[in-house]
Amino acid sequence: MAQALLEQVINGLMTGSVYVLVALGMVLIYGVMHVLNFAHGVLFMLGGYVCHFFFTRVTGSYVLSLLLSMVVLALVGLAVERGVFRPLQGNLRNQVIASLGLILAIENLVVALWGPNALQLRVASTETLVALGELRFPAHHLMIIGITAVCVALMFGFLKWSKLGTAIRATSQDRNAAMVVGIPVEKVDMATFCLGTALAALGGALVGPLFLVFPQMGDAPMVKGLAGILLGGMGSVPGAVVGGLIIGVTESVSTLFLPTDYRDSVAFAVMVLILLGRPQGLFGVRVRGEA
Amino acid sequence: MTRFAAPAALLAVLYFAPALSGPYLLHVLVLCYLYAIPAVGLNLMLGYTGLVSLGHIAFAGIGGYTAAVLMVDARLGYWSALAVAVAAAGAAGAAIGLVCLRFRSHFFMIVTLAFGLMLYSVMNNWDDVTRGAAGFPGIPRPPAFTTLESFYRLALTGALAAFAVQWLVVRSDFGRILIALRQDERLAEAKGVNATLYKTAVFALGSALAGLGGALQVSFLRVAAPASFNLAESINAVLIVIVGGAGSLAGPALGALLFVGLPEYLRVAAEWRLVVFGALLVLITLFAPRGIAGVIDDGWRRLARRGR
Repeated sequence: MAQALLEQVINGLMTGSVYVLVALGMVLIYGVMHVLNFAHGVLFMLGGYVCHFFFTRVTGSYVLSLLLSMVVLALVGLAVERGVFRPLQGNLRNQVIASLGLILAIENLVVALWGPNALQLRVASTETLVALGELRFPAHHLMIIGITAVCVALMFGFLKWSKLGTAIRATSQDRNAAMVVGIPVEKVDMATFCLGTALAALGGALVGPLFLVFPQMGDAPMVKGLAGILLGGMGSVPGAVVGGLIIGVTESVSTLFLPTDYRDSVAFAVMVLILLGRPQGLFGVRVRGEA
Repeated sequence: MTRFAAPAALLAVLYFAPALSGPYLLHVLVLCYLYAIPAVGLNLMLGYTGLVSLGHIAFAGIGGYTAAVLMVDARLGYWSALAVAVAAAGAAGAAIGLVCLRFRSHFFMIVTLAFGLMLYSVMNNWDDVTRGAAGFPGIPRPPAFTTLESFYRLALTGALAAFAVQWLVVRSDFGRILIALRQDERLAEAKGVNATLYKTAVFALGSALAGLGGALQVSFLRVAAPASFNLAESINAVLIVIVGGAGSLAGPALGALLFVGLPEYLRVAAEWRLVVFGALLVLITLFAPRGIAGVIDDGWRRLARRGR
């Protein structure tokens, strides 16, 4: 039992790390621009496909493909911010509807270009096993957890100490006040969107080798990332990290007691219950009079 | 008198379409009607009241599966099963709406999304009742409507009923209160409107219409499949309403006609058609927020002004 529990906890930390990467991007974008980008999941998926493209067609190096896909998706994020979300600034309903349009357009563009079938991304780290006590895990699991941990640490440092990070925090606290003290908020918006989509791409590229690359691969991480943000408290960066990990671990551990078919519903039910009971989330950030 | 001449002529043409056209066109038109019925429900919620539900088609699923279970397993008569299916979708809408409506803006959308996904998961996994992912086969068409021609008339009647309900609601006090809630909820509440009551009522009504669409759809296709009621279909419903023109009477019809009809006409592959519609949705929100109905309306006014 203890063995099985430990195994599910490690699995949960791995999937939770992926949710954290998605949630971090969404929470930053929500904080700064007050946009809930439902298209974040398809950008995650696009990251997986771009990584697959670079890995199989251009360079044989997984790490290089990973970085390239982050760069490409940062540019895609830039285009989406300038072309779609900025013109709709302040119109919440239309921003959400436009993000649904992006989901349809991007997901089906990928189907049109790469076909509907799942692609394999063969990477050595999924086949090497690492022993952890009596259990063995693919090195890739631990790599995902490790890379996410490093990203989270870098992100906290960046937000706390760098000039741009401080500007991001200031803008998400009070956009008008940030403008008054001379922060170029539109540049902050662009930087935040690039950062967010690059993190989503990293998530997609990391998950690709484990669960294949397919057009719907971003749907579940997007919803789970959203659940993580709500759990942590809408607008709280540490909340997104903790929330994402909790959703991942709960969901994995729940497979020990519940049929796996209902694993997803567990996460959604938890999400609704949290919103009903404690809408400010675990970290108690209440943003701009919502909910 | 001329006000009613054009719609009456259109109706006459639509009712006699089976005599005029081949089975292919009829099939496409039936699909249009079946997409338009839930879209009318969503239009009442999204267009008139301002409630963006991202799980609307899950309620069509409740209607579809209720009809399937009652007709096939419980051997209930077709019409009573249909009525119960619509009522069940409406009741589920009232119950779930009551929870969702405790939230506003972003959070309302997230919660409707979550309920949509949960309902889909139930349809997909509750094998004993819904037959799971493989779908629920053997759903009958009503006794007098088994052929395509006759089912066409049934679907048209269903769609007309939905549009009639929409028309009656919009021109009633109930409809005016819904519009007031969209424009300024606080002001409406200050005037003594019980916002939660009215919003729950429109959520239930919208869901019941979705249930009607779902029940007719499974009976047309003779099978209920969970994939007909997933998140992508809920997004399509939003697409139909917004592209057609949210908050306009004809919007859902225009949207459904474009969504089903145009790709059939152009003969493009399914994935490209959704790429185009996704892009169209983004462009509409950017440049024509009132949808096609709004564009036609503006064009008509401009013409009328020039004529004078």
